[in-house]
Amino acid sequence: MPDFDKLRALAKETISRDDIKYLIGWRQGTYGYRTSPHFVRIPEDADQLIFSPLCSSNLATYLALAEKRPVPRGSQPDTRKVAILVKGCDSRAVVQQLVEQGIKREAVYVIGCPCEGVVDLRKLEEKYPHTLDRVGARWENGNVSLDLPSGNAVFPREEIVAGKCLTCRYPNPVIADVTLGENVEVSGSTAFEDINRFEVKSAQERWTFWRDKFNSCIRCYACRNVCPMCYCAECILDKQNPAWIQRSVNISENTAFQLARAFHLAGRCIECGECERVCPVEIPLSYLNRKLVKEVTEQFAFTPGVDPEAKPLLVGYRPNDKGDFIL
Amino acid sequence: MKLNKDKLADFLAAIPGKTIFGPQLCGETLKFTAITKAGDLCLTANNTNVPPKSVVFPQTETMLRFEQWATDIKTAEPAGEIVLFGIKPCDARAMLIVDNVFSWGVEDPYYLTRRTNSTLVGLACLDPCVNCFCTSMGGGPTSTDGLDLLLTDLGNSYLLEVLTGKGEVLCQAAGKLLCEASGADKDAAKLLQEKAAVQIRRQIDPSGVQARLPALWESPVWEKISASCLGCGICTYLCPTCHCFDMQDETEGVESRRCRTWDSCMFSEYTLHASGHNPRPTRRERTRNRINHKFSYFVDKFKVIACVGCGRCINHCPVNIDILDILSKVGEDVL
Repeated sequence: MPDFDKLRALAKETISRDDIKYLIGWRQGTYGYRTSPHFVRIPEDADQLIFSPLCSSNLATYLALAEKRPVPRGSQPDTRKVAILVKGCDSRAVVQQLVEQGIKREAVYVIGCPCEGVVDLRKLEEKYPHTLDRVGARWENGNVSLDLPSGNAVFPREEIVAGKCLTCRYPNPVIADVTLGENVEVSGSTAFEDINRFEVKSAQERWTFWRDKFNSCIRCYACRNVCPMCYCAECILDKQNPAWIQRSVNISENTAFQLARAFHLAGRCIECGECERVCPVEIPLSYLNRKLVKEVTEQFAFTPGVDPEAKPLLVGYRPNDKGDFIL
Repeated sequence: MKLNKDKLADFLAAIPGKTIFGPQLCGETLKFTAITKAGDLCLTANNTNVPPKSVVFPQTETMLRFEQWATDIKTAEPAGEIVLFGIKPCDARAMLIVDNVFSWGVEDPYYLTRRTNSTLVGLACLDPCVNCFCTSMGGGPTSTDGLDLLLTDLGNSYLLEVLTGKGEVLCQAAGKLLCEASGADKDAAKLLQEKAAVQIRRQIDPSGVQARLPALWESPVWEKISASCLGCGICTYLCPTCHCFDMQDETEGVESRRCRTWDSCMFSEYTLHASGHNPRPTRRERTRNRINHKFSYFVDKFKVIACVGCGRCINHCPVNIDILDILSKVGEDVL
């Protein structure tokens, strides 16, 4: 894990370059365990940057989220690069956006941050309720160390990191113009034990499970908006005519929404787990996403967001695909 | 008056002909739903994830139904009598604030019937969350604004404070289930209530905000605040005072319904004109509107801030956009 001085020095150097528009990183949040995305526009802004096990936001989302305002007459569009700090999973989102031509390589300057796993705040809050005092955190010899108001607390990594980090196979950025700190050991497995356990349940059991979850959905669309791969200029959910998904919040429309979202991410989801993290009603969306990741892995031996030269899965054809799902 | 906790089930059963809504855990979500037994109530937790506005202003409401080739229109059944049991003082205050909108100019029969038919049984908030700031917004953890009855948890019993005729009706129905509260009970409740008020650490003085906002219209502060905004609907959907809605005709086969659903000013579609023009084209304008609406426009129109300090928007924002942080920036920003 890089120290903050190194990170801030690199950020200052980067933002001082003529070809960089702004830099996106993380800063300490306004209270407790929270961190916040941080936009560095002038060198002084870099003094607030941090990188710690609490930096869960996938900043790659902002590459596509930034609105393009009309360029005033007589001036040229700003074509400078956006510099972005990425963890391993975040870097896969950058690669997948490149593959899909959502962004151009020359438009982004990637600063890689090898990551040993980010804290799942829900797990942490079960152990220690949220506090108003700001809390710092570090990785230390495979553990996560937190400076709580009551004193320092050390948790074994497995106990406190997000579920996605336990299965993570890409803790080191797969694309980077510059890397901060040393690469970390890869410990995630390629097996899908969580999905396998779920799949053996009966159809009735699985539907009861999802019916209850989808029933609580309030359609705030945070899962869509936070997703670095959900960057369509026009989303099926917003269409009025025809209204593919009606505005009524009920089990039928909620299910249609959730399944449409999951299917649109088939072969594209890079497992950053942001959708699940932000859901205010705690729908375990990673089950849906990982089911499709499993299908894509088994049927097509394809892993999205690792090779910038790859073709998107669903626009390619390979004669050696298994194809045993074709009726 | 005092109610022993072991009599709670009987107290609820004694309420005549009203549907009782209370905080219940649905999956991982705490929200107000109709309860069938007292055991389902979750009265010890903090604020519900989804505010109780979802009962009087449902997220989806069918206003009328009609069929293709038919000329008759079926309007919605009028709402029955309800009790909101265990509502927090902040959420009750929020209802008073929202009442202004639904009775402004045109009386909204759907909302107002439900409000008239509802009895609010409050539960004093003795263990506020870290982000509660109700005391800065004119409320407090034991505020009685909008409530008909206030309960204070004394451990083995609830102290009851009757505030209106509606509250009186419930107590009369309960009859012998209630017993007289002693002076010691009242002192204990007072102590707990004072302790709760002190526990609220987040404070802000909102008095200057309304005056400052118009001059900040073009301030770079909005660009800064909104840079990390995802444009999702969490802050508005979970806000007890946000009340915007959309109306749509939805068709399935030959059957159609006119629905009203929650809408959010944080969505790009919210202000999109039929021409394709969007007067709030980016997250900057939408964030600016959200703050201006709560702390300026609403105050102009109804003389009350459209925020009760429940802290939900802070607790649930995925990127830590913090309304108190925004308000302090608005206060600091050089005009």
